[in-house]
Amino acid sequence: MINPVIQREFYGILRSPRAMVVLVCLTLAFSVLVLMRWPADASVDLTGTQSLEVFRVFGYGLLAGIVFLVPAFPATSVVNEKNDGTLALLLNSPMSALSIYFGKTSGVLLFSGLVLLCSLPASAACYAMGGIHLTSQLGLLYVILSLLVIQYVTLGMLVSSHVQSADAGVRVTYTIVLALCFLTLIPAAFFPGAGGLVSSLTSWLRNISPIPAVMEIMRHSGVGAAGLKQESAIGEFIIITLVSSGVFAALTLSRFNYRIFDRSRAKGLITDDRGRAAKTARRLFYLVDPQRRKRGIPWYLNPVMVKEFRCRKFGRSQWLLRLISVCAVASVMVTFAAATSATSWGVEAIGGLMVLLQVILVVVLTPSLASGLISGERDGSGWELLRLTPLSPLQIIHGKVLSVLWTLGLVLMATLPGYLIMILIQPVMWLQVNIVLICLVAIAIEALAVSAAIGSLFRTTAVSTTASYIAVITLFLTPMLVWLGRDAPFGHETVETALLLTPVGAALNVIGAPGFENYDLLPLAWWIAGGVSILMFSILGAKVWRLTRAV
Amino acid sequence: MPRCSDRFPIDSEPRASPSAHPPIRPSAQRNPIAVSSSETVVETKALTKRYDDFTALDALTMRVGKGEILGFIGPNGAGKTTTIRILVGLSKPTSGTATIAGADCLNDAHKIKRLVGYMPDDFGSYHNMRVSEYLDFFGAAYGIGRSHRIKRIDEVLDITGATYMHDLYVDALSRGMQQRVAIARTLMHDPQVLILDEPANGLDPQARIDMRVMLLRLSEMGKTLIVTSHILPELARICNVVAMITRGKLRAFGTLDEIMRDVQQKRTFEIMLISGDQVERVGQTVRRWLQEHTVDDDDTAVTCAQTEMMVRFSTHLNDREVAPLLSHLISQGETITQFREVATDLEDAFLSVANAGDRSDGGVADKPASSEVSSGVSATGADA
Repeated sequence: MINPVIQREFYGILRSPRAMVVLVCLTLAFSVLVLMRWPADASVDLTGTQSLEVFRVFGYGLLAGIVFLVPAFPATSVVNEKNDGTLALLLNSPMSALSIYFGKTSGVLLFSGLVLLCSLPASAACYAMGGIHLTSQLGLLYVILSLLVIQYVTLGMLVSSHVQSADAGVRVTYTIVLALCFLTLIPAAFFPGAGGLVSSLTSWLRNISPIPAVMEIMRHSGVGAAGLKQESAIGEFIIITLVSSGVFAALTLSRFNYRIFDRSRAKGLITDDRGRAAKTARRLFYLVDPQRRKRGIPWYLNPVMVKEFRCRKFGRSQWLLRLISVCAVASVMVTFAAATSATSWGVEAIGGLMVLLQVILVVVLTPSLASGLISGERDGSGWELLRLTPLSPLQIIHGKVLSVLWTLGLVLMATLPGYLIMILIQPVMWLQVNIVLICLVAIAIEALAVSAAIGSLFRTTAVSTTASYIAVITLFLTPMLVWLGRDAPFGHETVETALLLTPVGAALNVIGAPGFENYDLLPLAWWIAGGVSILMFSILGAKVWRLTRAV
Repeated sequence: MPRCSDRFPIDSEPRASPSAHPPIRPSAQRNPIAVSSSETVVETKALTKRYDDFTALDALTMRVGKGEILGFIGPNGAGKTTTIRILVGLSKPTSGTATIAGADCLNDAHKIKRLVGYMPDDFGSYHNMRVSEYLDFFGAAYGIGRSHRIKRIDEVLDITGATYMHDLYVDALSRGMQQRVAIARTLMHDPQVLILDEPANGLDPQARIDMRVMLLRLSEMGKTLIVTSHILPELARICNVVAMITRGKLRAFGTLDEIMRDVQQKRTFEIMLISGDQVERVGQTVRRWLQEHTVDDDDTAVTCAQTEMMVRFSTHLNDREVAPLLSHLISQGETITQFREVATDLEDAFLSVANAGDRSDGGVADKPASSEVSSGVSATGADA
């Protein structure tokens, strides 16, 4: 007899509109890709270069699809069930925790399998073009991606078993996934050929990310290899993925009992009610004491903005200060480490790395802050209450957008010390750094506008967060994917057009990052970012106006 | 910390004093115009709301006076929430008007927001916010100055008996505590009218008593209250005016006494017997007696419950007319332990009014007027 949880999970996902959208979009994207690159002339490419070009774009596209689409489903799986009360019913049934977990995981895995199946016709077409090895390239790609799916599904389930809301599940899962994918590459990039324990550690860390393994299959050199020969990433990736998936599964399984429902409530002890010694100590050790009694919202501040800061788990002053401190220290460390690493990078490469890190920070942070601005209120019944107040739609939008903009601004400002060190090393870069900062502000505004507008179109926070993440990541990653295929399969003009979509390419171009020197992107990239932002803010405004009027 | 029940002891619980309302006949009368005698604060005129072919609200006309507590009763989907949403400016009527203290609910939305405090069924909590911060936000949203706002937070928490919750996190509160904070929130801007949707929903008995006391206290403060609830005995204890609505139409409006009087056109009596063997026999006797003593055969309705050793009947006859039935049964040699009238409560009144309204619409009643069907029960009589 089939595990009933598998049936329910799998059918439940298949019935959801977003699953249908994911499958249809992926199938269309892969079909269009093959159609675009299918040889139309009579000549035969005996070297297989053309098919390899198509295979590379297809492979990276599929990897991006897995990274950005798959985590959304397991991230909400357990927490939704817990909040709906059905997990308690399941745990109360004769089914064992293992079979419940197995059923839930299998349901999501089956759907992820469908996503991979959608790509089979396109991969078959790539193979038919010749020049691609069936087992060592095509087969291995699917093995790597399947393992990645298992890792992300078990990770998503683990996160989902710990968080209290579906929205938080999506945010935390995506943050971890992006960190596993991109941040793990950085240490290896700083210590190439260091040798010994450091090299071994950075190599293992690098191979947590699926990117080096996929690059190896695509016959690309590794990230940050800088011409040095690197050991095979595939073996280490497979080991890491299998072990981590097992650990994630075991940890999740250990939560499938009373522990998942055990949650202590914060008592809300206030510093003002404590003794003099405790008060003094807390004032001394906390720059901003999180437990002190707040004074009322002053007249000159938008109450919605203050409310947004107060509602966020990490929106309180003490958390913002910590985040800013971490960003400041990290940016200085990146600059220092790059400047003193074994390989001479040059200021341009360091600047490029800084820009990329900041973009990753913006891409990870913005959807989590901005996607739920409207849907969070609607989801939690706060919207009706806001509508009852005399606040105008403009005041509501203004307060909400400001709360995100301030946070992003503070985080970006915190990375300035890194640029200051760059200017100290090479003072002539003053103007370039200024232009880069303008680009970064434009990136933050564009990401905010897209996240807020896309998020406002959905009623539930989890869906709006997922949609915003996918939209923002697609917007910022697509030009980079196209750039990766520069010269082949994409020409200079195509890459330049793609880079114009966001000011990321322009920032990298201005700072002189390797590979970005030959494009003319400014000021057009600013205009396009401005246009996209205005369009998105208009959508947000229209949506809020529609939601606030009596119907 | 003081609790509401500490400050308002249960035994000194104030009672709603029914004001003198002109009697309004409920039942089959189509959309009666409901009027209260005191200074009108809330007024609707032929208020209608249609969604395509579906009429959610059909020409609702009523008035509520200052300081009154209106119990708004109706089954799910009756149109209560639609009415409330129009009153607070969240929804637009298809036709008709609604005013609060003279301000039009649709065109003077800004004024309405200051005049009305609305507590929806959902609490609408925010994460990581303390109760004082929560109230501070809504106070600021209503444009209350900071110093006045801080004082006001203490005042409303005191009124609602929630002073001890000042520093607690909102999302860690129990349902009963959240209801208190929600009422405190509606009071922040000192509105004239409070509209509370299911305030007693999900509360434990003690919290319900506290809530009842709090609402009466607010009424004493001169606030006009519109309260919806499915717990009709709760409403009966606090409301001085009741509006019954089904299928979008107002079926009855008036004080509880008036509505009871109008509803009780038929009275129900119970005869308790010493043995179950008597039940069928007594039932036949009662039915025959009623047919002999009433003009209309349809008037007789006799229900026999053998397991409960009880015969129940409904009739238009008054006390003097029904008294000989007891003598007749005793003369027949039947042993009777009790012969009593069954008191009609708000639930019975509501079911009666709702069913009458549904029948007049040609629809099917949501619930039977009598739910006296169980094992071992047989029914006789015209209505059975």
